[in-house]
Amino acid sequence: MTSMKMDDKWDWDSPQCRAQLDEVFFRQHDYIQAGSQDHKDFWAFFERFQRFKAKKEMSGSKDNKYDDPKCSKSRKSGSLDLGLPKEYDARYKINISVCTKDVEEKMEGCGYRRQTQSGPGKQEITDCRLALLHFLDFSQKQSFNKLAKLRHEQRSLPIFHYRDKIVELVKAHSVVVVAGDTGCGKSTQVPQYLLSSGFTNIACTQPRRIACISLAKRVSFESLNQFGSKVGYQIRFETTRTLATKLLFLTEGLLLRQIQQDPLLSQYQVLIVDEVHERHLHCDFLLGVLRALVGVRPDLRLVLMSATINIKLFSEYFRGAPVLQVPGRLFPIQVIYQPIPPEEQASRSEKLDPRPYLRVLQGIDQRYPTEERGDLLLFLSGVAEISTVLEACQTYATHTQRWIVLPLHSTLSLAQQDKVFDIAPPGVRKCIISTNIAETSVTIDGVRFVVDSGKVKEMSFDPKAKMQRLQEFWISRASSEQRKGRAGRTGPGVCYRLYAESDYDAFAPYPVPEIHRVALDSLVLQMKSMGLGDPGSFSFIDPPPASSIQTAVTYLREQGALDVSGELTTIGSLLAQLPVDVVIGKMLVLGSLFNLVEPVLTIAAALSVQSPFLRSAQHNPDCATARQPLHSNQGDPFTLLNTFNAWVQAKGERGGGSRKWCRRRGLEEQRLYEMVNLRRQFKELLRSHGLLEEGSGGAVTPEERRRRRDRLTERQQLHQLKRQHDLQEGARRKVLRLEEGGQGDSSGSDDDNASQGTGKGKKTEGQNLDIQEVKFKLRHNVDQLQEVASASQDLSSRRQALLKLLLCRGLYPQLALPDEHNATRKDSEQIFHTRNKQGVVIHPTSVFASDPEVLHVPEQEDGQPGAGKGQSGRHQLLAFVTLLETNKPYVSNCVRVPALQLLLLVSNCVDSNGDCTRLVVDGWLELCLSDGERTLGVVSTALELRAEWERLLQAQLCKRRPSARDLQHLSDRLVRFLLYTEVNYTIRRLTALQSQNLYVGPQSDPTTSDAQALKTIFPGWDPQPDPIKGGLRVSSYFTYNCLSDPSDLYSECLRTFWTCPHCALYMPFTPLERMQHQASCKPPEEQPAQEESESETAAPSSSSSLSRLYHCDICDKDLTLTSTEILKHKRQHAVAS
Amino acid sequence: MEASAGGTVRGMFTCELCGLATPFTYFGQKPPNTRAIVLLEESYVLKDPFSHDREKFIVLGSSCTVCHKVVCVGTECSLFYTKRFCLPCVRENLDQFPQQIQAELAKKKSAPLHTDPAKR
Ligand SMILES: [Zn+2]
Ligand SMILES: [Zn+2]
Repeated sequence: MTSMKMDDKWDWDSPQCRAQLDEVFFRQHDYIQAGSQDHKDFWAFFERFQRFKAKKEMSGSKDNKYDDPKCSKSRKSGSLDLGLPKEYDARYKINISVCTKDVEEKMEGCGYRRQTQSGPGKQEITDCRLALLHFLDFSQKQSFNKLAKLRHEQRSLPIFHYRDKIVELVKAHSVVVVAGDTGCGKSTQVPQYLLSSGFTNIACTQPRRIACISLAKRVSFESLNQFGSKVGYQIRFETTRTLATKLLFLTEGLLLRQIQQDPLLSQYQVLIVDEVHERHLHCDFLLGVLRALVGVRPDLRLVLMSATINIKLFSEYFRGAPVLQVPGRLFPIQVIYQPIPPEEQASRSEKLDPRPYLRVLQGIDQRYPTEERGDLLLFLSGVAEISTVLEACQTYATHTQRWIVLPLHSTLSLAQQDKVFDIAPPGVRKCIISTNIAETSVTIDGVRFVVDSGKVKEMSFDPKAKMQRLQEFWISRASSEQRKGRAGRTGPGVCYRLYAESDYDAFAPYPVPEIHRVALDSLVLQMKSMGLGDPGSFSFIDPPPASSIQTAVTYLREQGALDVSGELTTIGSLLAQLPVDVVIGKMLVLGSLFNLVEPVLTIAAALSVQSPFLRSAQHNPDCATARQPLHSNQGDPFTLLNTFNAWVQAKGERGGGSRKWCRRRGLEEQRLYEMVNLRRQFKELLRSHGLLEEGSGGAVTPEERRRRRDRLTERQQLHQLKRQHDLQEGARRKVLRLEEGGQGDSSGSDDDNASQGTGKGKKTEGQNLDIQEVKFKLRHNVDQLQEVASASQDLSSRRQALLKLLLCRGLYPQLALPDEHNATRKDSEQIFHTRNKQGVVIHPTSVFASDPEVLHVPEQEDGQPGAGKGQSGRHQLLAFVTLLETNKPYVSNCVRVPALQLLLLVSNCVDSNGDCTRLVVDGWLELCLSDGERTLGVVSTALELRAEWERLLQAQLCKRRPSARDLQHLSDRLVRFLLYTEVNYTIRRLTALQSQNLYVGPQSDPTTSDAQALKTIFPGWDPQPDPIKGGLRVSSYFTYNCLSDPSDLYSECLRTFWTCPHCALYMPFTPLERMQHQASCKPPEEQPAQEESESETAAPSSSSSLSRLYHCDICDKDLTLTSTEILKHKRQHAVAS
Repeated sequence: MEASAGGTVRGMFTCELCGLATPFTYFGQKPPNTRAIVLLEESYVLKDPFSHDREKFIVLGSSCTVCHKVVCVGTECSLFYTKRFCLPCVRENLDQFPQQIQAELAKKKSAPLHTDPAKR
């Protein structure tokens, strides 16, 4: 204020002068407070207002022409006197006043008002007040118009006319079907109608997470609850639900999980199931469950919402539920059939010919003037097709400068996907080349032209090859209409169909529901866990083939989730509650046993989301170099683990620089955020099932207390940031630049030159707030994460081996065998075989695609006795997460692992011949071993390890956590077994014919002697003759001597003379007999040691005395003999006969 | 029933001319927490749902001084000139209004008040 004394003129622009007025009008508790956005807006408004006033004064008496004194006097006789003032003043049009008398008086009282010294005088205060009144009036009008516009839009939706009817129907019937086409407003309005007519606790399911968020946002805005929580959403990692929430948008999968916890869904009064016509697996199942539920809960209201597709099906399924059909709001669309001429039709192996698509672009340029707006949406079947057409259109666009070409599919980075919503500059059209994602999931406004290829790629499951398959099909008429409809959302449109009308007529009416296409493992597991009885007899709206269900049941049995009678096992009921594939769930459970939870959590999460590695970056040398340190040649899950850990470290070090860190490596950071969230969810699930030890409690150190306080402060700041961001959201769309088309820096194209795009990618997004980072920090304790990450970053090779074993046990039976000739093939021609599919290849994204040598058997080391051709101790298998056939059958997310060791430790079925030189695993892998005796020893160890592993795991699952000592002991032995078992063998895949004739079959003369012998070798086991395979079943997974090998037939006679080094017995022995003798005839000092190591498995009681009761079938006598004596006794009979 | 953080819904405001219907949280001349601000008419007020601030409000409408119909503040339905008048009443008594107001009204198309689409 001191400076003002120098200046005796009032200056509106001076901050000090303004501050004085702020003291009057914008005090701390005033409607507008100094420093707020409104306050800034006011002063900006003030300047405009002053200019406007000055202009008006300049134009002088113009206004006075209305100063007609008659106006208020000369009213029509007989009418009412309104008592209006005689002179016009714009001030009279404002219905607000601002009383600041108190402050003004106070100022006067303090002698504040010193006209000569530039304090605000009466005039200034009056001026300011007037401006403020106009400002308030202006803001009122703005807000009111926003509200009025909103209400107007709601009322002009086609569904608005049916508002009362809908409410009426829902009140009267427990199930109602609302059918309406795109744009009728059902998804946003129906929940609001029900809410405002008094229903509460409404859940509305959506097939997609993204729709839950956007609908909750829209509906809370429309119901004037933008800043409240009356309307919320709940998806996998996020919820805005509070106790005040009356309307909740959630995914179908999530509602199903809620039913698992709360079978009557008593928390809801109304359930709305939206988009039922899409026929997703979850949705079909949900409908089945709800159909049963409405019978039990007559008070529950169920509303099915569908496009006008196959409505009868839904109505009839719900016993004739009433249907309310609402017309959509579509503008007329002209359909043009332009079948592709035969010479431009691609044969199966060739690339798509882009010419028919280019012609459409050219046609639009010729026929429609550029001033007429309207974008183009082009539907193709897949990413490779998009890439081909994109390239051609891009060339055309560069030439004409009239198009911006953008791809759209789910493997693009989110930023790239988001671009399709931006606006093209005047005179330029967007050409969006999309998969069927734009058919229903993504809605783009402003589309006037649609090009429909008529093709779609759909995932199907081939139960025979146990393989997912992505195949191209003709679309259905329903999809075709849906695609067409996208042209008529904002005005009349045109749809070019690149097929003949006769093709259209031949299309199937509806798409094949997902339940008929996909593997039903998770579904069956969930049904079992919900106690829905036999999945085969569940009344689905459109039941899947019985064989599909049978395949799933078999698979779950193989995985140990179901027992022989088809009931849930302990682990199965746990797996049913994990929202992931069974194999991933198994990894989590296994990881919780050993002290490897943290890396397993990370890997399980990483394998459950899309890969963070952007495909295009693979061809970028800089990215490739930067990624190099992340690669692990142990397998892709290890690469993902390294990547996640390095990312967490980068987050700490550079504080917010992780975005750049990711870009440099060609990583989609969003996926890493998904991982960290999923990881946390897994951890909570494990903890809630008692599978994780609670964090160590103990006293809180002062340092810890300080850290917690710091964290709290930081969280408050972060919340503030997030709030600011949320407020700014919904900002206007960007305008695209011409050169922004093409595949840019983050295309997800298949194999072709993806980096041909414009090569830019240095976007200046650094300054704006990284909201993901803020959310991340709010949700996670970064310090803790970093500790965990650095701990699992430097796993010892032993820990790594154990981790690998856990992963592979989880992934089993998803194993592939390298072809024996791979070492002589080119890198790109390496092939592998699974049990059900020959000749699969490694997906190019896998670490083994670029480094296949690590899978080859090393050159034969010389001097190994008994190692024949192809024999080695170094054979490896590949465990994989997915097998998907596109143009080739690809395995992806692979781990390499020692073959024999893994098979013995995890496989469901190991069969051997008499001398254990031949093993067949799961009926498809044959291992020929040079040293039968040694093999028998290895098998014996494996049996023991598995028994112990199983025992500890069951204890863990029953919440009796095994002792750390037992665990440590087991993990040491497992690792030793995996890494240091030295046996030479060959491994090959059996032919179909060989697999059919594996077994000797039940024998008329069960070899009891063998059983006895085996009891000695496998103490604690009780071998029984196998009624189907023949031989002796030692454990549930190991059957001895059941293989019908030609040499096997003579195994009984294949005795060679041998002298026991301990008792000097000299006799002809079969290998089995020899081992049996050795097992029982050990030098005295060895015995106690052995006893200790096998203490859990309680060796046969007679092991101390060496003799036991033996019943000889031939002389029908009970004899007490040692093993050697038994052999001698048997031999007598053999010689006698 | 709760409409939004901060404001308790007192009832439903419905414009008798255009049918605009929306809840209101206050009726009177002195909306809560507004200190120096006073309304010059008894108004239906809604806590501003588009603002995070608890005290921001929107005036929805009030009664026409002449016919006492409840009307919204939308320019298609009413105007304020020292008092609230619904447009039909303004037209009825147009001669009593100053030239400026008359001119403003004339500028507006002689189009009828926008009707309720639901009743179309
Ligand atoms: Zn109105
Ligand atoms: Zn009136």
